[in-house]
Amino acid sequence: MDSDSINTTPSPSANNCKDFSRKKRRSAKLKQCKLDARREQWLSQSAVKNKGCCKEGTNGGDLKQRAQGQTDCLLENLEISRRGEANRGRETGLVKHESDSESLPSNSPMNSILLEGTGSGTSFTNSSSSSSSTSSGGCCSGSITEEEGDDGCLDDWEAVADALAADDDKREMERNNNNRENPFLGSTPEHEQNPQLGLKGEGSDLRNAKLECPRMVQRVTGSSRAWRADDAFRPQSLPNLSKQRSFPNTDRHFGQRGVPWMRSSPFTVPSSCPICYEDLDFTDSSFFPCLCGFRLCLFCHKRILEEDGRCPGCRKQYEQDPVEAEASIQEGSLTFRLARSSSMFARS
Amino acid sequence: MQASRARLFKEYKEVQREKAADPDIQLVCDDSNIFKWTALIKGPSETPYEGGVFQLAFAVPEQYPLQPPQVRFLTKIFHPNVHFKTGEICLDILKNAWSPAWTLQSVCRAIIALMAHPEPDSPLNCDSGNLLRSGDVRGYQSMARMYTRLAAMPKKG
Repeated sequence: MDSDSINTTPSPSANNCKDFSRKKRRSAKLKQCKLDARREQWLSQSAVKNKGCCKEGTNGGDLKQRAQGQTDCLLENLEISRRGEANRGRETGLVKHESDSESLPSNSPMNSILLEGTGSGTSFTNSSSSSSSTSSGGCCSGSITEEEGDDGCLDDWEAVADALAADDDKREMERNNNNRENPFLGSTPEHEQNPQLGLKGEGSDLRNAKLECPRMVQRVTGSSRAWRADDAFRPQSLPNLSKQRSFPNTDRHFGQRGVPWMRSSPFTVPSSCPICYEDLDFTDSSFFPCLCGFRLCLFCHKRILEEDGRCPGCRKQYEQDPVEAEASIQEGSLTFRLARSSSMFARS
Repeated sequence: MQASRARLFKEYKEVQREKAADPDIQLVCDDSNIFKWTALIKGPSETPYEGGVFQLAFAVPEQYPLQPPQVRFLTKIFHPNVHFKTGEICLDILKNAWSPAWTLQSVCRAIIALMAHPEPDSPLNCDSGNLLRSGDVRGYQSMARMYTRLAAMPKKG
């Protein structure tokens, strides 16, 4: 687990990612409104399925609250640790500053920001320690190790976690919030955590979205981490993040680019499979079998593969190896990547 | 089997709901067999088929929509791509270019488009195809118009 976390936080690639993230962030901000609206839709769709997954995310929120209200010293530790981290990895520091500058206008003081960020990180640890049943155990350990390396504040974190474990009620409330806010994460609890934490830690949705997205894509296990982890991982995931952030939009572009007629057609954002006319469930709606953007349910896809194996939208042969198809798609669009990561998630 | 039935049922509801959407197409399902459909299509304007109403018969296979429906004209029509006696239609989307994304409704639209744009190079009606290929558009049009009047228009009086 430790090794895993360490491996997953490569600082060298972070710089590149940072640059990417900045550019993309700006463009992403412009589209933020649209994205938010989209996200809301997604969330509402996937909310039912997500319910089970939100626990950890809730924890993070609780932790944050706790950290603010209860433990000042903890807060200090967190800040310190965070700074240490920032110093350690330049990219991290930069990210933090950026976030600060962004969040400051929204009248949130630096301390609070830091605190919140750390709090979320803590919460992750907490969640991992408190709930061993969740798949995020690996991630949690990763975050813990990181913190240990920084300040050795692990004890504090654990204490916080214990305290947090008690607030089930809060979690429940937060859970609901999470469901609404996180569109992508329905399938995996860890995914949900990230967005929530990011949101709370910072005032800007944009940031959060970016953070959460890359994480999901990159590694399933690491997703349980809060803000901090995000910072550390950010470099890697940033390019992916921006893409993922725009996931719904990207999807649309795909359809447009590949098949112009799809834009006005019901396939652009299908709520039902155009082949069997059955409603698309969550798995189906994150399934992108063809570059042309034509989407259908897994059931019909299987039936078509058993017959001539051509995409109904463009009449080209489907890729034989779905993994390859996804990989090739990934370069072009975030969406596919998401599908892949989610599938991996399920496996792990 | 079940999938095709469910899909046809959905298409049926769709047709009922959007009856007014396409006034040139009237698609009805057999009362007792959802795999048998008939359609009435109006001949497109500015063609020799204008003013005629042509009846189509759909036989939907159980593998539908993975397999295309079999469609033929019940109304006699003089068209290069329609067999004059059997009413069989030579249309790529009813053969190898079929896509499960097509519906019975869209097939009707495609057939209307085929009526307006015949393909004399792959004729099922050689007489009609030869007229067009030899450049005798006028001869083709007058023949087609005559059969439209004979077979596809309500009898006068």
